Formats: sequence, structure tokens, C-alpha cells
Amino acid sequence: MQSQSATSTMPGFAVSPLAERGGLKARERRVGWLFLVPALVAFVLVIALPFVRALALAFTRNDLQTPVPRFVGLDNFVALARMPEIAQSFAVTAAYVVLVTAFTLLLGLAWALILNQPFRGQTLLRAASLIPWVLPSTVTAFIWGWIFNSRYGVLNAALVEMGVIPLPTAWLSTSFGAMVAIVMTKVWFSIPLFMSFFLAGLQSLDREQMDAARVDGAGNWALLRDHILPHLRPVLLVVVVLGVIGNLQHFDTIYALTGGGPVRATAVLSIEVYRRAFDQWDIGMASALGLLWVTTIMPAAYFYLRHLLKGV
Amino acid sequence: MLDLNSLSARIVFALLLGLIGVFLFFPIYWLVISAFKGNSELYRIVPTLYPHDLTLEHFRTAFGRGRLGQQLQNSLLVSCSAAALNTVLAMYAGYSFAKFRYEGRRAVMVVLLSAQVFPFGLLLISLYPMVTDLGLIDTHLGLILSYIVFALPVSTYMLFSYFSQIPGEMIEAARADGAGELRIFHTIVLPVSVPALVTVFLYGFMWSWNDLLYAMTLLVSENKRTVGPGMLLAYLNEVNADWGGAMAASIVASAPIVVVFAFLQRWFIQGVTAGSVK
Repeated sequence: MQSQSATSTMPGFAVSPLAERGGLKARERRVGWLFLVPALVAFVLVIALPFVRALALAFTRNDLQTPVPRFVGLDNFVALARMPEIAQSFAVTAAYVVLVTAFTLLLGLAWALILNQPFRGQTLLRAASLIPWVLPSTVTAFIWGWIFNSRYGVLNAALVEMGVIPLPTAWLSTSFGAMVAIVMTKVWFSIPLFMSFFLAGLQSLDREQMDAARVDGAGNWALLRDHILPHLRPVLLVVVVLGVIGNLQHFDTIYALTGGGPVRATAVLSIEVYRRAFDQWDIGMASALGLLWVTTIMPAAYFYLRHLLKGV
Repeated sequence: MLDLNSLSARIVFALLLGLIGVFLFFPIYWLVISAFKGNSELYRIVPTLYPHDLTLEHFRTAFGRGRLGQQLQNSLLVSCSAAALNTVLAMYAGYSFAKFRYEGRRAVMVVLLSAQVFPFGLLLISLYPMVTDLGLIDTHLGLILSYIVFALPVSTYMLFSYFSQIPGEMIEAARADGAGELRIFHTIVLPVSVPALVTVFLYGFMWSWNDLLYAMTLLVSENKRTVGPGMLLAYLNEVNADWGGAMAASIVASAPIVVVFAFLQRWFIQGVTAGSVK
């Protein structure tokens, strides 16, 4: 609140609106920038500076033996390129992002179509569907960790009971099981957001056009294929881009559920960078890997920003 | 609107409703009932589908040994401060983008919004030494300031979209009356923007309340921990995890955000999806 009292006494704010044209334009510029100052200062200090610093550190050796960063050029990147575990981390990340985005997309769309139908309790169900999305990451990890628990987990009990598997599996201790667990967890709490976007898109659907198509004998599938999905195309694009960005960055529930394990089976890039930075304190390597990580996000980010700033 | 008059359409609809419904809601049901089961009932190979003997013992452990009360207090302090700070920063910037035209406006917007896609984990690597140098490591203030990373870009965009819809005549009229720019913003624009401000506050609150990564890295002392890392370390750090306690603590930690959300979800969804759906 300090910035308010400081700027309100500035003389520039009292200028009469009847000032001459050129003055008005200059004034608009000045006032516009002044309103930006608080956010810009925060942005530079907390986001831009750390980002630039991380970029610079990527080209240095900076670990426990080298507390003062020493410029090493591209050494870190060369070293990373030679590590098989880094290639594996990229592969794991790609699998995670593709699986989570695809499943969330399908289930989120289906759920939105269901909740777009009028039925009793629909409003309540819509509101309740958002719950998974607002839970703290640790809570989400607890919920799924308990469901996937090897001894007392309800999933094992159900699968054994139904005869799907003969014996309980230690889900989180096998590569495949751990991947299933982290993907299901992320899909579970991402569905609500995807659903919200789709529902918002469905609201602007042209009903008359739909009714006309129906009179022409179009069934549900035809309607979905020829009218609803084409109408949702822009939303679909936003949702996929947002989903990819979010999934590429996701850390919390993976860390809490598997910690990247067993061995490295679920060590996505976010986990790998964190481990290098805060377990091994190899800041140079962590930053270099982080830089590669950013480049994977860039294409999605480009589409997202272009969309957001359309017409601005 | 799909046509559900045919039998096959009804079956597909009911099947999908059931399957996705179970996937979404069963975990929440399981969380709640597990918290009320006693240990003898909780640790069974074939679990009971509802608690046969209700008990509050896990809630007692959560607040006692689990230090949940302290963690909730810390989380509340950090999340409210971070959300308030974020809202104030975003509202001035959003207003500037929405109602003023000047060179560099679009460029600044691009840069500010692009921050949303910087990985939080990467920023943390260099935030950590910066926070340490400022003497703010292991302090709530350090964490609050760092949380600007999470919510500022989207919050600014949300308020930008909202302010853009406010008629310019209102502002022009006040200007003609000789009101100062800050006065116009505070007494005319802000009062009609309460729903958007509340949404943005809640958005910032949610990010910081739910975060694990930053809280577990920037806070070290046990008595300063927020609920995210607090719960994780309290229940899964032992050889034998206390699942009953974890479930009970989870319910308590989720309650505030779920309750607030129940009242505000409509505004919230509008705010978050605004501008992305055209």
C-alpha cells in the first residue's frame, strides 16, 4: 500500500483533462507507465532477474566444490548430452505429458458434454467436479498414495477381488506402476479445468443450427463430429497448449508420490532439475538442464501468448 | 445438447457418467471415510467400504503430534499476504493495460504474460540464493515475495480483461470533473470490480495454499512450515506412514479452500476462462 500514498502526492496526477492535445498524449503515457511501476518492479526482481541469472548460470560450473560460479562455456550441455539418464528424463517427460494431456482431454471433454445435458443435480455436480482441482498438492498425493498403497490400497483390493490381477502389486515400486500412478493423479485433478473450458465453449454453441441439423436427420455422432467438435476447435487448442505447459512444469504430486523413482522411472525434467539443484547442489548443471527444459516449453508458450494477445 | 431418447444413447451416457463420476469422486469419498476409520479397520487387506466404527482419533493426532494447527496458521498468514500483494500488483498493471494507450504497452504485456510459462522450478534455482542474500531464507516474507512468480501474470491478464469491459465514458466523466487518476481508479473503477478482485485474490490464495515446491525449499524450520510440506514431512517421512493421520489432516487442510470455492466458483471459472475462449 506504500506505493499508493507515494504516487498520490505526485503533481502529474492533477493535470486538467482540458490540456492541449500533445500534452494529453504525453500524460496518458506517463500515467499508464506509473500504474505499471509496482508490477514491473516485482516482475523484474522476482521473475526476470532470477530467470536471466539462471540462464547465465547454465554456462558456469557452480557446485559444492565451486561456490563461486566459473564460466565454462558449453561444458554443461556437452556433459548433459552424454548422460543417458538425461535422455531418459526427456523420454519420461514426453510420455508423461502426452499421456496426461491426451487422457485429460478425452475425459474432460466427455465430462463437459455430460454436464452440458440438462438433468437433475447437474448444477451441483458441476460445482463438485471442481473439487479435485482446488485441493492442495500434498492432499492429492496422499489420496492417490493411499489408493495405490501396496498392502492396504483399495485399488489392489478391488483388482484382486475382481480377478484382474492374482496378487497385489507394489504399484509405486515398479516403473510401470509408478508411471500409471502419477499419470492418473495428474489427470484426476486436471479434468475440472479442461471441463470448465469446454463448458464455456459449449455455451456459445448455436442451438438453431444444431436443431436444424437434427431435423435433417443427423444423429448424436454426426452432430458431435460436424458441429460440436468444430465449434470447440479454438477451445481445444487453448486447452491442449495450457495442458502441455502445465504438465511439462508439474512437480508437486510427482515428487510427493514417487520422488522420481523407482530409480529414475518417473524422473521428469522438473524432478531432475530439482534433484540436481537442491539435493546435489550442482547449480550449474541444474540451470543448464533447466534451460533445455524451457526450450521444450517454448513452442507451446508461443501459441498460448499469440492467442492471449490476439487483438490487444 | 445431445439427444438421449434412444436406448443406446442412454446407455452410453449412463456408462460415461458412472465411470468418470467414480473416477472423480471415489478418491474424495475414500479420503473422507479413511479419516474416520480406526487403525484396526484402516489397515486391512480387504478394506471396508464405509467406516463401521467412526473415530476422531486421527484428527486428534493431526492437531497434536502433526502440528496441524500451527501449519494452518502459517499457511493462512502466507497465503493471505501473498494473495493480497498479488492482487494489488495485478490491479494497477491490469488497469494500465486496459485503459491507457502508450508505446511499449504491448511489449511489456508480452514480457509480463510470458512469465507464466517460465518453469517455477527453474526460477527457484536462482531465487534461492537471492532470497538467502536478502536474509529472507526461512522467513514467511521470503516465501510471500516468491509467490509473486505463481500468480502475477495470469492475475494481471484476468484484471486486464475485466477492466477492458468497463465503459470509458465513466472514467472520462470523472476526468472532466477534475478527479486525479489514482482517485478515479480507487473510487470509481475498483468499487465496480469487486467480483474480479475477489476472483484474483482467490486465485493467488489457491496457488500459495496448495504449493509444495516453494514452501518446502524456502522454509526450513519446523515451526514455520506451511500445510503442504508440513503434512508431507509429518506423515510420509516415517518408516511406517500414518495414513489415518494423513487423511484427517488432508480434510482439515482442504476445508478452507473448498468452502471458499463453493461460494465463489462461478465468478472464478468466468475469470480463469475469460479471454481464452473466444
